[in-house]
Amino acid sequence: MTDDQSADSGNQRRDVVVPLRVYKTVTVFSTLFAVASVVAGFILVDVATQLASAPVSEIDVPVAIAGIGAILAGTVVYAFSTRFRTEEMGKSKDDADKPSDNG
Amino acid sequence: MSLERKDEHDHKGWMESRDLTPIESVYLTVLVWLDKRLRVVDYLEILEDLYYKVNMQMPKSHTEQYNLDNKFWYWYPLYALGSFSTVAYVVAAISGALLGFYYAPAAAAADGTPTIAYDSVLIIMGQLNLGYFLRSVHRWAAQIMVAAVFLHMLRVYFTGAYKEPRELNWIIGIVLISLTLVFGYTGYLLPWSQLSYWAGQIGVEMSLSIPLIGEWVAQLLFGGFSLSQSTLQRMYILHVFFLPFITTAIIAVHIGIVWMQGIAEPH
Repeated sequence: MTDDQSADSGNQRRDVVVPLRVYKTVTVFSTLFAVASVVAGFILVDVATQLASAPVSEIDVPVAIAGIGAILAGTVVYAFSTRFRTEEMGKSKDDADKPSDNG
Repeated sequence: MSLERKDEHDHKGWMESRDLTPIESVYLTVLVWLDKRLRVVDYLEILEDLYYKVNMQMPKSHTEQYNLDNKFWYWYPLYALGSFSTVAYVVAAISGALLGFYYAPAAAAADGTPTIAYDSVLIIMGQLNLGYFLRSVHRWAAQIMVAAVFLHMLRVYFTGAYKEPRELNWIIGIVLISLTLVFGYTGYLLPWSQLSYWAGQIGVEMSLSIPLIGEWVAQLLFGGFSLSQSTLQRMYILHVFFLPFITTAIIAVHIGIVWMQGIAEPH
């Protein structure tokens, strides 16, 4: 495991190095899941509030909470996926050995 | 024999060798489980591979070869106008086909009430679910197509792309821009509103002003010298039957010739 919390003080980001193929799996599926659940969440919120036109008394609270929950779940999955990286993907500050010839 | 690629990696054991939190290992296990079943990543990798192979076969363009990019780059967005017109055409075709389920080309109702055609447009705009949206998409696609086709023609003219050996496609393009305008005109008459009606009247009188064959043209296109049910019927059939077939076929030829001849390089 690679847990370089030591180097960057103040930023307690955890890094998990995984094989490239697993990294691709994580990126593709977490993005798919995040997009699907955020869209589904908005649809649920729309259904619960009748496209934000329902008076407060008619809002379907469980469905609305389920919708917000789905949006949050998508966000969490996406955010969680950012801790995985491959060998080559050093943090940008560690990339000093690579020449910056982009320009 | 296995189709799996052989490599050094320990596919089964690697996860144990890492110090993962329970959430991380569950997360990875779930995603890897999904990946093994759905294989989305494999297909994306095939696409990536194809992308690079296709691009490696591309020869250097004229502008790259002679280093003209620095002088010519601002023309490049205008090279998308042909595709843009095609996209607008496809959008108009799809939305138009859907509108066709609700529109009725009948100019009946002489008792002062609105005609059936105008009423069906009112129903689309006022009562049909997403009807306002659908008709707006159709209208905007039509407006954009006319604009894009015209700008496409300007681009072809000012980059000299009409020159030998592309004269034929230039002529076909002139036919296509005319057909686009006829499409627009016939569609404009279909709501049978005041705007449509008087635009139709102008059309009749313009036809009648043609020397010698004017009356014949007015009869042929408008079904008479004054507007009637047969005018609306003709506009409808032109708009949804004649023009779509003719225009789609000619667009196919137009694009086919571009495909065969290649994009005209600037000089």
